[in-house]
Amino acid sequence: MHIVVLTKPVPDPAAAAERLGPDHRLDRAASPAVVNANDEYALEAALKLVEASGGEITLLTMAPAGGADTMRKALAMGATRGIQVTDPVLAGSDVRSTAAVLAAALGELTFDLVLAGADTSDGGGGVVPAGIAALLRLPYLSNAARIEPDAGSGRVKVRRITPTGYDVLEAPMPALIVCTQALGEPRYPSLKGIMAARSKEIAARALADLGSDPSGLGGAASTTTVLETRRPPARGATTVVRGTPGEGAAAIVNFLATRRII
Amino acid sequence: MFPVFAEVPAYPLVFVVFWGAAVFFGLVMARHLRVFAAAQASGPNPLADIPARTLGLIRYAFIQVKMFKDPRAGIMHFGIFWGFVLLTIGTADIVTGGIIQTILSLPFDGLIWAAISAMQNVVAVITLAFIVWAFERRLISKPARLTYNWDALTILLMIGGVVGTELLAQAFEFAAYGDKPGAFIAALLAIPLRNLDPGWLQAIFAILWWAHIAIVAAFLCFLPFSKHLHVATAFPNIYFRKLAPRGELPAMDLEAEDATFGVRTLADLGWKDMLDGFTCTECGRCQQACPAWNTGKPLNPKHFIMGIREMSVEAEHGLPLIPNSAIVRDTYGLDDTIKAATMAKPIVDDAIPFDAVWDCVTCGACVEACPVLIEHVDKIIGLRRNLVLEDSRFPAELNGAFRNMEGVGNPWGQPPASRLDWTKGLSFEVPIVADVAAAGKLGELDVLYWVGCAAAFDERNRKVARAFATCLDAAGLNFAVLGQEESCTGDPARRMGNDYVYQMLASANVDTLNRYRMGEKTIVTACPHCFNSIGNEYGQLGGNFRVIHHSAFLRELLADGRLRVIDDGAAPRKSVTLHDSCYMARYNNVVAEPRDVLGAVPGLDLVEMDKNGKNTFCCGAGGGRMWMEETRGTRINAARTDQALSTGASTVATECPFCMTMMKDGLEAAEGNAGGEVRAIDIAELLAESLAPKELAGRQLPVLQ
Repeated sequence: MHIVVLTKPVPDPAAAAERLGPDHRLDRAASPAVVNANDEYALEAALKLVEASGGEITLLTMAPAGGADTMRKALAMGATRGIQVTDPVLAGSDVRSTAAVLAAALGELTFDLVLAGADTSDGGGGVVPAGIAALLRLPYLSNAARIEPDAGSGRVKVRRITPTGYDVLEAPMPALIVCTQALGEPRYPSLKGIMAARSKEIAARALADLGSDPSGLGGAASTTTVLETRRPPARGATTVVRGTPGEGAAAIVNFLATRRII
Repeated sequence: MFPVFAEVPAYPLVFVVFWGAAVFFGLVMARHLRVFAAAQASGPNPLADIPARTLGLIRYAFIQVKMFKDPRAGIMHFGIFWGFVLLTIGTADIVTGGIIQTILSLPFDGLIWAAISAMQNVVAVITLAFIVWAFERRLISKPARLTYNWDALTILLMIGGVVGTELLAQAFEFAAYGDKPGAFIAALLAIPLRNLDPGWLQAIFAILWWAHIAIVAAFLCFLPFSKHLHVATAFPNIYFRKLAPRGELPAMDLEAEDATFGVRTLADLGWKDMLDGFTCTECGRCQQACPAWNTGKPLNPKHFIMGIREMSVEAEHGLPLIPNSAIVRDTYGLDDTIKAATMAKPIVDDAIPFDAVWDCVTCGACVEACPVLIEHVDKIIGLRRNLVLEDSRFPAELNGAFRNMEGVGNPWGQPPASRLDWTKGLSFEVPIVADVAAAGKLGELDVLYWVGCAAAFDERNRKVARAFATCLDAAGLNFAVLGQEESCTGDPARRMGNDYVYQMLASANVDTLNRYRMGEKTIVTACPHCFNSIGNEYGQLGGNFRVIHHSAFLRELLADGRLRVIDDGAAPRKSVTLHDSCYMARYNNVVAEPRDVLGAVPGLDLVEMDKNGKNTFCCGAGGGRMWMEETRGTRINAARTDQALSTGASTVATECPFCMTMMKDGLEAAEGNAGGEVRAIDIAELLAESLAPKELAGRQLPVLQ
């Protein structure tokens, strides 16, 4: 089985150093980058599938050149290789552009499944996977809490979380699946994994390599524009409840009840 | 032929019986060594540090200083040990055809040998008394730390038998054949025996004499299989003890190809680790001191070390006493080498349960307690290294701590940009090294204050940082902090087995400190874990720094008169107990310093807990336990809090940010502290509260005595 996992380097949320430039674009130099946390869950799910039934995992990202360092961390978890699409034209791409580029890169590959995280912690658009599925006419299975591919029948079964429970969906492979954290905590890379990742291949692709027409892509062709950004208002003062567990519980219930939360 | 033993029937048989047993002993011991040889070659160089090692041998093996931490057991053991050693002169004489006696009888008309005989008589009686005491402990008073089995009783019976038969044989010998000079107690015992039939006397003498030799031979044959083997192994084990600072974990080469990272199997242990196993006597001092075991957790340091020994013994199964040569093995198709499978068996879940590996707080109480200098902690870290670096097998909570240290350089996962938040609201500026360097004023810097993550990010510990910085400012010192250039020293990662993250953080810190040439300056820190890493471990990565704990630094400032306290007699008296940090007191011998600082604070009366100084009891946060849930047994900090509260002190002084957190939490949760009156306060805070106004303490002013 060949699984492609979409990953993205994002500013480390823990560093809280995320900063926008004057053009409202992310200042990538301001913060250390990590693999988008939701993508790690998708990668973990892919690793478990490959461990169970064999196969390979290719990581695919669209990122500036420095993104390869971040991708090594994901390779250390156990992915087989990486592909990074980098092109100066792509700076400032919107979700439409991103989906088109990733779809073009996927068009070069043969695969059984594409796994993606629900959204990214920087842009937070959450529609790139759906865009890719639409462009490549792949079955789109979102909110996955369990993934059961069957190589024999060439079909994949997905348990999809819904507000009231779950649906079980089935689709022919290749298919694109959007993963949730219910699939399990991402593993911590072993030292052997880290060392092995150093020599794993990360293929660099420019738009020309993909045969894509740059005119409709990148910041210049963006169909959305950020006009203004603002910080959320500072949180109000924290209320600390002290006392015995019983008193504490009563105070919290009271707090919630007066606000009609419960 | 052997005039000295003319009365002993069939005396020459001694050579067969004793030396036969001695050869057997040698062969079994050599078989142990074959397992050692199958282990990693790593171990101390036998030819290095001979003076220090010899002194250690005298101190720990012959004077047995550690044994006297438990004075009763210490005296008892000392008595039996030295009794046994002195009586061995007699045995040695017997098994060598009386050569010792013959030679020593030549000068002074045999006076020397007579004196030795008299001494031996006295020693025999004393030793027998100590053996009776030992029996009393094993059969009647039964201290909880001991392991009760037939092995120990057999050994005691044998020792008693060796001493008793020798003395009695002598008494019957004197009664039958007449007294010999010196042995006055045997002569006294012989007086009532003289009335017996001489034939009986001779027969009983012969039986007792041979019983003595038989027991000695049996002892030699039994010893290599017994826990009592320490009589042979304690000496090399003490001689080859860890001479590096106790807080310096073995260096690790992470670039080594095909290496096993850390310790997985017996083969990954060094020979000294196996020697540790064969030296353990199951005395249980380690388990008695272990905070994990004392709070009902699965970790038992004694069982761990004995487990390693059992695995080593298992690896010997099927090995012949006399090794066959390769030719013989090939010719007869013999398979009598060490089975690869026994050497490849994982230690975790065999000698020690997985959970127990993670229960260790690395407080070193076991190492401190062990009379034969067994190193438990380094081995446990070795196991953790393998679990983390090769299998990513560790408590789930650590995932976050590792990622935080790797990502943002601190285990709390706080943004590095908030590293200086603790300085907000101080009445003075806290300079940053980068600014000082940019202004070209590094040369004027007196001291670098290494703040540490806990003091930078934890709300309670930020107050400690503020108090300590206030002391530095009041002393008129030119100090600076690294600010955002500081990151976790890596200590928690290293203690949790993640040497990869440790080396990443530590190397970066070494580079930063070297860039500012801090090797020429003094670094002060209020965190014992930072202190230990920077001072004892950064040398492995090319960082040689002079680091001083804030307790020692404050004491210096007080002694120099740079810091002055207001002592107008108005301060109300309050009692304080000091909770020693393991990494200061036990690992780095810093015991008096914090006490001297407390002594300088007016109105404080220090009351000690039973477990203080080098015998301190961990708060429960060491070894990365700060970032793990404590789900097994009861809470270690609660146990320590109870010990602190039982002193009746109104304040628990701390000297470590982790201890602060644990003691604070413990005190807030303790039933014995219902009103929350007893609080945890760092020594720097206690001192800062009573400092004289800055203008009187500054060094610019003339010194007023």
